Amino acid sequence: MKTHVRLVSILITLSLVIVTGSFAADYPTKPLTLINPQAPGGTLDIQARAFAPLAEKMLGQPVVVINKTGATGMVGGLAGAQANPDGYTLTVGSVNIPNAIEWEIANGRKPPFTRHDFVCIGTFTMSPTFLIVPPDSPYKTLADFIADAKAKPGQLAFSSGGLYGMSHLPAEIFARAAGIKVRHVPYTGGGPSLTAVVGKQVDFSVNYPANTLPLVRGNKVKALAVIGAKRLKSAPNIPSTKELGIDAEYYGWVGILAPVKTPKPIVDKLKDVMKGVVEGKAFVDIIEQAGDEVHFLNGEELAKYMDAESEKIARLYAEMVKETPK
Amino acid sequence: MDVLSNLFNGFQTALTFQNIYLCFIGCLWGTVVGVLPGIGPLAGITLLIPATFGMDATGAIIMLAGIYYGAMYGGSTTSILMNIPGESASVVTCIDGYQMTRKGRGGAALFIAAWGSWIGGTLSIVGLMFLAPFLANFAVKFGPPEMFALLLIAFILLGSLGKGSFFKTVPMILLGLLIGTIGMDPLTGTMRFTHGIKDLYDGIGFIPVAMGAFGIGEILTSTEESLVRFVSKVKMRELLPNREELRASWGPIFRGTGLGFLIGLLPGSAHVLSSFVSYTLEKRLAKRPEEFGTGRVEGVAGPETANNAASESAMIPFLGLGIPTGPAPAVMMIALLIHGVRPGPLFISEQPQVFWGLIASMYIGNVILIILNLPLVGLFVNLLRVPFRILFPVILLICLVGTYSLNSSVVELVILLFSGVLGYIFRKLDFDIAPFILAMIIGPTLEMAFRQSLMRSAGSFSIFFKSPIACTLIVLSCLLFIWNIFRAVRPKKAWEKALEEGE
Repeated sequence: MKTHVRLVSILITLSLVIVTGSFAADYPTKPLTLINPQAPGGTLDIQARAFAPLAEKMLGQPVVVINKTGATGMVGGLAGAQANPDGYTLTVGSVNIPNAIEWEIANGRKPPFTRHDFVCIGTFTMSPTFLIVPPDSPYKTLADFIADAKAKPGQLAFSSGGLYGMSHLPAEIFARAAGIKVRHVPYTGGGPSLTAVVGKQVDFSVNYPANTLPLVRGNKVKALAVIGAKRLKSAPNIPSTKELGIDAEYYGWVGILAPVKTPKPIVDKLKDVMKGVVEGKAFVDIIEQAGDEVHFLNGEELAKYMDAESEKIARLYAEMVKETPK
Repeated sequence: MDVLSNLFNGFQTALTFQNIYLCFIGCLWGTVVGVLPGIGPLAGITLLIPATFGMDATGAIIMLAGIYYGAMYGGSTTSILMNIPGESASVVTCIDGYQMTRKGRGGAALFIAAWGSWIGGTLSIVGLMFLAPFLANFAVKFGPPEMFALLLIAFILLGSLGKGSFFKTVPMILLGLLIGTIGMDPLTGTMRFTHGIKDLYDGIGFIPVAMGAFGIGEILTSTEESLVRFVSKVKMRELLPNREELRASWGPIFRGTGLGFLIGLLPGSAHVLSSFVSYTLEKRLAKRPEEFGTGRVEGVAGPETANNAASESAMIPFLGLGIPTGPAPAVMMIALLIHGVRPGPLFISEQPQVFWGLIASMYIGNVILIILNLPLVGLFVNLLRVPFRILFPVILLICLVGTYSLNSSVVELVILLFSGVLGYIFRKLDFDIAPFILAMIIGPTLEMAFRQSLMRSAGSFSIFFKSPIACTLIVLSCLLFIWNIFRAVRPKKAWEKALEEGE
């Protein structure tokens, strides 16, 4: 009897191996789903939807983007982490995923999943943010702004698209690096946060190139600096914080993640497709149209970057949680 | 005259065979997603984005915009006929619309809703066309303090929404507010009443609750009454509104247009707010407000006009500045980006053929929609002839599928069914459901605006009085509050007494 059970289990395991093996050989045989944990209309959505039709050409199967939003990306992230590891359900990852996990840990909660539940496929972009002020604000340069913020500690306020999200952290990192005390007013999403600067409801904000540059060109906001190491190709006359002597850097990456147990041959194929699409002219054109820049990291580079960055963010969160009045 | 020559060029773009066809497809699909409960314009647009890849930018945006405003036409259908809000802006339409159906005037209600939608939609485009850049700049000035003040008024109006007494409305509002607090606090990230259930992190969605409390609650009540009911034969004359109904709906339609147009400029769930504010306004202005809730045509005409006007003016911040204020315009913006057109403050001057083509197509689309919707009135009313033993399971199925299609969440299905039972109990105890649902929608936004304002001012209440708009609105809400108390304590007029004795 016992041998029977053992035999059956060996057979099942074997058949599974064969099935996954044959799966990988002619993968994909059905449409792929790309879970976007953020709302339609955001940076992730633009990039994922630009990627989908191009990847479809290389894979020979449709790639369908679905938005599964909620709890700053935790709901979609969890669905992606727990998806069947067969290469048919992938997640549009962003810096929000490791951040949300670290935030849970900093608040003493057990995160529903960790970044080790994913294997990285690669990135589309890794963009810095602009520090922006209303168009008629008195600040002409970043130095003006910092001097004024230092003169009135805790009085200037900035908007963000949501607590601890990718448009809150750069401002927080910048404020700490510049040694200024400012107030945070969270809004529900990147759009409303931008509206708040245009409408002078707040004194400054940070936001990503694709959303910000059209407003800069239309003179609805003024960009004082890029929070990062170097200037952007699309905005060569806006200085970076590094050249102005402020050690603040933050990049919001967007890319693709797969469940960690996805078979290696499938992961390799996805990595090839990703590299092919992201370095192709069609994709670069769409992203540059939108005012952003393509920045491809392969899976290994992204995993390494995420590990190093998560450690830094964890420290920052621990400080922020400590400073929050209970 | 600049506007007119631009518009002329726009019509040249929009009147090509391909663009008229795309506009028609968009409007048709929009009507379908509007009629189906649960699937709103957002899902409708997102589904069709891949289909636009072969088109040029103008064609794509014409079709997607058609879905968006077309959905507002369809939204009232299930509210009026089956008491299920087809989309969020049609919650208040359930109140009087469904009562009209019960009186056999469902066809007239649908007709008025389509008619009002057309007027509201068309006038709103006129406003959009002349004032887009100017209004976009005004809209961004509307920050948290102003939003708070406006919602405060809405909140006081909520108290007079129900047809029941004060003591039956207030508990429902409080319950709605309580349920609205569930989920992650957006300002500090604290979890409230989630008990570790991940599906509750984002709060309880009001669509499953609204569909459950209205739709499923209605089914439960009806099955208990009788399985054989009204509407056996529908004559053509009964589909059309009579002269009295038409006359009564003129005022609400024009007021609804104005209200909807202004409220649509605001960020967030503006079109929900617009239909509800219009309903309460009509109730205030009515000679006999106590008849609201028993099937007054004004209660359908006003809100349905307002939500159409609002949906079109909600495109102003997106077209004028490139900042979408709601999720549906946000998806349209992506579609433009994918086609290589970058919305922003310079959009109108740099891409005149896209902008004016879109404007012209919206006039055409509204005409297509009314031509499409009026004959459908007859078809939809005939649905009621389906025996209830067949219709009820179908409605139940639609509610279940609609809810599941939102987030593919099983927990939401449980919420839907539970709300159905809750709705049944409320109905039995004669409590109104609309104030409950609306409190659930307005509560969290009100709280958010209040706390954002105070975070901006470091806790000083002066922020509400520094802004002239906010200050005016707050004074207005105080007056409204005092007026409510005054009305409650003043001696009753003769006819009011007679009515109460009659009951």
